[in-house]
Amino acid sequence: MRALRQAGVILLIALGLAGVTAAVHPKRPSFLAPPRDPNEVSLAQTKQWPGTVLWVDARSESDFASEHVPDAICLNFDNWTDQFPKFLDHYSPGQRVVVYCSATSCQLSREIAEKLRTSGVEDAYFLEGGWEAWKQQKRP
Amino acid sequence: MRLSLLLSLFLAIPAFAQLKWETMEQSLKAKPGDREVVATYRFTNTGTTPIIIDNVHTSCGCTTAALAKNEYAPGESGQIVARMDIGARTGHQEKSILVSTKENPRTPTVLRLVADIPVPVVMNPTFVMWGVGETPKPKTIDIKVTDGFPMKVLKVDIDNPGIKVEVSEVHPGVELEVKLTPKDTSRPEMATLLIRTDYPSDNPQTYYAYAKVK
Repeated sequence: MRALRQAGVILLIALGLAGVTAAVHPKRPSFLAPPRDPNEVSLAQTKQWPGTVLWVDARSESDFASEHVPDAICLNFDNWTDQFPKFLDHYSPGQRVVVYCSATSCQLSREIAEKLRTSGVEDAYFLEGGWEAWKQQKRP
Repeated sequence: MRLSLLLSLFLAIPAFAQLKWETMEQSLKAKPGDREVVATYRFTNTGTTPIIIDNVHTSCGCTTAALAKNEYAPGESGQIVARMDIGARTGHQEKSILVSTKENPRTPTVLRLVADIPVPVVMNPTFVMWGVGETPKPKTIDIKVTDGFPMKVLKVDIDNPGIKVEVSEVHPGVELEVKLTPKDTSRPEMATLLIRTDYPSDNPQTYYAYAKVK
């Protein structure tokens, strides 16, 4: 009984401290789901689009070399100057471009899609779930 | 009761508390032309036993973190040097460096590298295109030096005479309108526009835009 009371006190202290942290910590996570980025698309959405999608792989060149979406172009912040002209070789104005990186946690695809839009590629999106989602879809 | 409560709280303090960091966040500002941003995080083992840092990894493939050695005696200091490749990155960048010790591998210390990478020149758009056979109407790229940069655009060159360039200065050296017209759209053409500037004086930067018939 006494041990139980002690455990309860410890739990209450821990909960109190956690509550204070959740209330005042400047980097506390939001408990509300963030709104979906309008430039994020799912694989299912891309399949419904008319025309050919131009896929951009924002991962490292070594990851790209080992496996990538068919006909994708490797374009990221490290090879931008060399690879952007190559991207233009494949891109046609009005074409939809979808950028992917490794997984949902990866922010690169979002950033590269944004850089493409500021460069003049109007329809540049990033893939929800990234390369992992693509691989998942390919599994039986 | 009081003793066991104190003991529980004491045991909850991780062994990692032995490492005291001078700073866990570095905010740096890059200059145009810089290839990397370098941040140093100094620490001291303030504990009473040696500590082994057995894993240092970063949140981005663009960032490396180097540690001279892994084991630090009580009172000994060391540092982690993080380098972030700038590449084509611009604006506000935040990267993390995760430092784990052998004693506490599951709760790494998170160091933050915050970098502000300026965009000295804005081109809108970065490329123009015509289809093969399309009427060769002129298309324009606007070039503007960002406010506050002591930079002047000295010259705009093109590497393909098949595309005519007309430069008009809205504000000399800082705001230009570049009109591009292909002489012929019957076959594919590719041209790179070289926007030459005078800044920084020790390493003047050239920026690129593209014109393409395809």
